[in-house]
Amino acid sequence: MYPRVIFILICLLFTFIRPDVSLARVYIDIESPELQPLPIAVAQFKDIGESRPNVARTIMDVLTNDLTISGFFEIIPRSEFPQEINALADPPDYSSWLRSRAEVLVMGGYSSKGDRLAIEFRLFDLVEKAFLVGKRYEGSTKSLRSMIHRVANEITYQITGGKGVFDTKIAFVSTISGNKEIYVIDFDGHNLREITKNGSINLSPAWSPDGRLVAFTSYIKRNPDLYLFDLTRSVQIRLSTKPGLNAAAAWSPDGSRMALMMRREGNAEIFIINRDGTHPRRLTKSWSSEASPTWSPNGRKIAFVSDRAGSPQIYTMDVNGRNVKRLTFLGSYNASPSWSPKGNKIAYCGRSNGRFHIFTINPDGTGIRRLTENSGNNEGPTWSPDGRFIAFSSTRGGRSQIYVMNANGANQRRLTSTRGKESSPTWSPRMDR
Amino acid sequence: MVKKSYIVIGVIVSLMVMVGCAKKAVKEEPMVTGKAGEKAWEKPAEERERAGIDEKSLQASLERKKYPGIEGEFLESSLLKDINFGFDRYDLTPKMREILSQNADLLLKNPGVKIQIEGHCDERGTIEYNLALGERRANRTEEYLISLGLSGNRISSISYGEEMPLDPRHNEGAWTKNRRAHFIILSR
Repeated sequence: MYPRVIFILICLLFTFIRPDVSLARVYIDIESPELQPLPIAVAQFKDIGESRPNVARTIMDVLTNDLTISGFFEIIPRSEFPQEINALADPPDYSSWLRSRAEVLVMGGYSSKGDRLAIEFRLFDLVEKAFLVGKRYEGSTKSLRSMIHRVANEITYQITGGKGVFDTKIAFVSTISGNKEIYVIDFDGHNLREITKNGSINLSPAWSPDGRLVAFTSYIKRNPDLYLFDLTRSVQIRLSTKPGLNAAAAWSPDGSRMALMMRREGNAEIFIINRDGTHPRRLTKSWSSEASPTWSPNGRKIAFVSDRAGSPQIYTMDVNGRNVKRLTFLGSYNASPSWSPKGNKIAYCGRSNGRFHIFTINPDGTGIRRLTENSGNNEGPTWSPDGRFIAFSSTRGGRSQIYVMNANGANQRRLTSTRGKESSPTWSPRMDR
Repeated sequence: MVKKSYIVIGVIVSLMVMVGCAKKAVKEEPMVTGKAGEKAWEKPAEERERAGIDEKSLQASLERKKYPGIEGEFLESSLLKDINFGFDRYDLTPKMREILSQNADLLLKNPGVKIQIEGHCDERGTIEYNLALGERRANRTEEYLISLGLSGNRISSISYGEEMPLDPRHNEGAWTKNRRAHFIILSR
């Protein structure tokens, strides 16, 4: 079911050696607020086996879409190519490419045999006149899209120094079938599929750090119990069933524990349980409501929501419950914190002029930044594993759907287009490891 | 009949006043329990009679129900009235206490009935914070019913957050209806 399981990476064509010159070059500074996309030429992939023209088309579509939505690349149209790329073995005619805006070039080929498929690509620096990388991937024809996402990951790695997240997925809640079920969709908006099919109310999915489990809360047994969905075996396991809430689970970065909301003395508090649902430990003790825990990536701190000061605000505490500090002071409703993978930001949802927007704040309470503008309600932020993107739900187009944007708010795009109402996205870890 | 209800209401009111006083020292709740009871006391005879519905009327009013996707059937009675909360509030106003004492009255006359209190929210705010808010609404309601003399082992509570709106529309009127504690009967 998952690419990691299905296909074997052959790759690493050692015939080519990456020249030193490329190491020195910074193509794009992804930390820069005014990121200048790198012009890239993507040549049509050549069929070097049985004739399967639709594969070339899919490769081109998926690859250019990945590179475009990353925000790091500008795709140079084929009409601006100074030469036709015909033979895969030859390096490009660098002198003719000097007339083009393109700074890097991708070319590649594919071959298929029965239901097996191999894809290879090469990446050239047209300015430095250098070969950068070449790789080959092999798998079943069904994993074509996953293989192309890995090509995009590799190209992104070469250009930005960090691997792409094109093979990641996003789980979320949707009412497509009438009630709230958990769904999963690829990063590029393809491959929508239903995970839970229990007909109940299913909430707050949380992807485990190993990528194999999604924790969620369901009302199947007339109590908001915590369940796990095992993606590798497609089974649902009931995990924590204390009377009252067992909700809003958040995995510790090492996957050994979960923080969640549970009832104590008539109100919701933050607890930690082991990954098998045992040994609940209470972290917060208050007369107020506590909600929505999220772990710092080093596993030492937890941010959460509390209304102890009269309105829902975001607080941080040590993982033993001590050292509680209020983080947000601006506005009367701040909730749904999500700690970034690098640890330097917390994204959250705050009310401003009667609408909910996505903000980021530094963990010391400085540097508040609003990322969404005057368009609908925007809620439930979740970070991509590389920290470069934030997914969230928004009603800007009418019904609530899932959107993705760069971590600085640029490049906001709609990910889902369903007849349901969507909420609570959770980003998967990298599957390509 | 009328006489009997007078006695019952009298007992409840004095109980409420006692409980209200006892609680006051510990919890900062305004002493409106007695007032709500007094108001009921001053009502015209026919209304008093309605408040003092006999034990059979609850049993007769029960309707079988099921929520889709949630195991098991339950019973509902139109005689057990919802209470409606303010936005982002879980405190009980005098009006809500009055409704709760009428509900308690019915339940005290039907000691075998086990109920579940559902805490509900309107759609505004985050899903998870609303789960916490629903929890408090249900719990505050449960505490109050217990203070009126109901045994805690007859009552359970559950938060549905914003997941079960009574009115699916997106306006003030719908939101007011949706911010509620609702009562279902798990066994008679």
